[in-house]
Amino acid sequence: MTIVDTKMKRGDASDGLLGGRLARIDGPAKITGAADYAMEHSPEGMVYAVIVDSTIASGRVVAIDTSAAEAYPGVLVVLTPDNALPIKTATDWTGAPPPAVPYEPLAREITFAGQHIAAVIAETFEQATAAAALVKVTYEETAPISSFDDPRSGEGYPIDMMTKEWGDADAALAIAPVRIEQEYKTPREYNVPIEPHGLIAHWEGDMLTLWEPSQWIDGMSRTYAEWFSIPFENVRMLSPYIGGGFGSKALPTRYGAVAAIAAKMLDRPVKLAITRPQTFTAFGGRPATRQTIALGATREGKLLSIVHRSANETSMDDVAIEPLGSVTSIMYAVPNFSSRQNIVPVNTVKPGALRAPGENPSAFGIECAIDELAYEVGIDPLDIRLLNYAEEDPHAKKPWSTRRLREAYAAGAEAFGWAKRSPSVRSMREGKQLIGYGVAAGTYPVRRTPGEAMVRILSNGTIEVASSGIDMGQGTYTILAQTAAEAIGVPVETVVVKLGDSSLPRAPVAGGSQLANLMTGAVHVAALAARDELIGLAINDPNSPFRDLQANTLTIEGGQMSSPRDAGSSVAIAEVMRRTGRNSIEALRNTLPENLRNKDDHFRNFTTISTMLSPTEGDYSMHSWCVHFVEVRVDVDFGTVRVSRMVSALDSGRLYNPKLAESQWKGGIIMGIGQALLEEGLVDQRNGHVMNNNLGDYLVPTNADIPHLEVISVGIPDTNASILGGKAVGELAIVGVAPAIANAVYHATGIRVRDLPITLEKLI
Amino acid sequence: MSNQTTINLEINGQAHTLAVEPRVTLLDALRDHLELTGTKKGCDQGQCGACTVHVDGERVLSCLTLAVQVEGRAVTTIEGLSDPGAELHPVQSAFLEHDAFQCGYCTPGQIMSAVSCIREGHAGSDDEIREYMSGNLCRCGAYPHIVEAVREAAKVMS
Ligand code: FES
Ligand code: FES
Repeated sequence: MTIVDTKMKRGDASDGLLGGRLARIDGPAKITGAADYAMEHSPEGMVYAVIVDSTIASGRVVAIDTSAAEAYPGVLVVLTPDNALPIKTATDWTGAPPPAVPYEPLAREITFAGQHIAAVIAETFEQATAAAALVKVTYEETAPISSFDDPRSGEGYPIDMMTKEWGDADAALAIAPVRIEQEYKTPREYNVPIEPHGLIAHWEGDMLTLWEPSQWIDGMSRTYAEWFSIPFENVRMLSPYIGGGFGSKALPTRYGAVAAIAAKMLDRPVKLAITRPQTFTAFGGRPATRQTIALGATREGKLLSIVHRSANETSMDDVAIEPLGSVTSIMYAVPNFSSRQNIVPVNTVKPGALRAPGENPSAFGIECAIDELAYEVGIDPLDIRLLNYAEEDPHAKKPWSTRRLREAYAAGAEAFGWAKRSPSVRSMREGKQLIGYGVAAGTYPVRRTPGEAMVRILSNGTIEVASSGIDMGQGTYTILAQTAAEAIGVPVETVVVKLGDSSLPRAPVAGGSQLANLMTGAVHVAALAARDELIGLAINDPNSPFRDLQANTLTIEGGQMSSPRDAGSSVAIAEVMRRTGRNSIEALRNTLPENLRNKDDHFRNFTTISTMLSPTEGDYSMHSWCVHFVEVRVDVDFGTVRVSRMVSALDSGRLYNPKLAESQWKGGIIMGIGQALLEEGLVDQRNGHVMNNNLGDYLVPTNADIPHLEVISVGIPDTNASILGGKAVGELAIVGVAPAIANAVYHATGIRVRDLPITLEKLI
Repeated sequence: MSNQTTINLEINGQAHTLAVEPRVTLLDALRDHLELTGTKKGCDQGQCGACTVHVDGERVLSCLTLAVQVEGRAVTTIEGLSDPGAELHPVQSAFLEHDAFQCGYCTPGQIMSAVSCIREGHAGSDDEIREYMSGNLCRCGAYPHIVEAVREAAKVMS
């Protein structure tokens, strides 16, 4: 075909092209109940599995008496480690080759309460649930270490790759005119998507179909394939809608293996939905963390040294790292710095990823500490942030690609009315309410993995976009339609987006806030290729109405092709396709670099995280930035805290759809309000149980907890960060919310709460 | 415990006859037996509101209601709020317009609650909407947009 360079018509903000406030295209399905989430399928002959969990946190299973359960009406099988079909251990998400040992999703050795030990499969859900209660387990129990607050857990062990040091932090701290040192703690926190986890597994021969909510179709499919020693292509995973994940639906689970084993053994489709209480132990949330931060500064508040020591809980048999120095090391300019981290094994399920793993608790530490320093030296908390503003990445020593944090401070302070703050604590009051203002910044890195997409132009003029990438509410369907519409020059209504199916082109994990940027990039590239081919066809095909034109004058706008030489003669894409006799034009493109385009690297790119680039790879350090301004009202008598007003200014680079990005930001802010004031996994120190393992006791914010939220975008396109100029959105906005609230509570009350959540007993 | 009982239900104006065990909840009857999966299961223990439906015009949690309890009573689910292909209910349109959801999983319950909230006369102010919509959790954090949507829909419905 002819290579053509045609003029591109760019959309403006009102018309559904990129940057427009288009309503979600998956919205109508969701508001009418038509959206089919994973658990809403009923393949012929489907049966139900219910998992039996350990009631002890440490020890071993001596015996399982399944006789009563097996005798229960409708029960088909009771799975235990003794009769479950053996499967292999799979490659993990980093790409590390698996050990040659079997994978046992049902445990004999118990390392946490709630560990899966058996499963009952029956004809109905009610039968399986009732029979599961009849499984009798005999344990040999040992004393658990329930949390890292138990002195027997010790200090844990250091994770050297978390160490970040420059200058001489200890020496600089020792001679600093001003020194403060405090410990900051965050409890176990849980993802709590409103759609609980689960799956339907269905074997047909050696083909496995899985309806399972997934943030990473290709990564999880690979695991299932390796567990059962079948080719990757034999696994079909479907996840077109996901009822929230927040990090908890990206990796395969033990119960997933159990369902697939049961389905194979019974040769019937098996539905396994874990219960809401099980969502607290079937996979991990954010681990409990603690950080000690020592700041050394001049009397004017200029930082001289930061010494940061931290630890997070992990499970007894695995390594979970919540990178606690991630914000500490980049937020402020400081000449001397030391950050080290330990992990402490306790009897818990392995902790997992929850919105902004690392950055979130890291910001709680440093953003409270800098606030404490501001009061110590007697300057405004906003001014101390500007005084120590990092003009380049102090750790990587590279320029920021873009850092609109100064602009965020200015815009947020203005909209909030920060200037009206009275400097001293406990100085603003209305009746029985103490009023406090607080500020804190946040950041989240730009993570980059190459993407892939198929764009088709169909004979009726419809544009089809296809990817195994997913939409769990971030707006993937919508922004990819906007991307393709803009690149080709068609109305967005003519674009159909297909996602969440492993039979479609590959996509890496929807995590680390990377998916929107890499998928818009891939769709943009594929759509331009399809457009080029269409134009090539239009000018080369003997039956085309444009066959006599010069290549570089053709434009496509609103789905119509036209030549400026003959303004009146526009022809619909469908008409061009008809006249040239084409059924479709297809462009499958990826954004892999040349050296990763071979088959193995292509597969590795989408099924592991081994090709994900760090935010400092290349010439720049790339991050999103934000600042939150908070007003709290604290009841003088009862110590109850309400967030009464909040303004956040955020730099996520270019927004592909501000309406949807604002929703994601607000969602993050709301989760941050929950983290600050409500959320805490309460562990029974005697037996390691998560006591509040339900939505009535593990408190997430309700509508009445949330005030009006104002969000302001201060970002500019950053084409170092991504092909189309966006940076991280989804995980950014939660970062900094909890410290902003803690700082506001201090301003209101004079009480500094350094362990989340900020509950009333800490204030009275 | 597999004694099935035959029950007659009226869902979205349609009569259904169902043979289920008496312990089957209305939620599971809808989702597993009637293929009305628009009603969501978020907790199965009355704590999240995802399963909200209308029984005789009042909002109820279908996970805390046995199917046998609603015999002879009119049940409305999200699928019955507006006719397929016909115009959306004002609350549905307002949810779309105000982006009052992200993942969409809490959304049918939110919408059923919102319709009731307005009908009950509890959409008089933003604070009142917040209070009367607080039985429906949204982990995606669509609350501010839900408040906007309910406020706007209430205007249209009055
Ligand atoms: S499923 Fe009924 S309230 Fe949660
Ligand atoms: S939209 Fe996801 S829980 Fe409400």
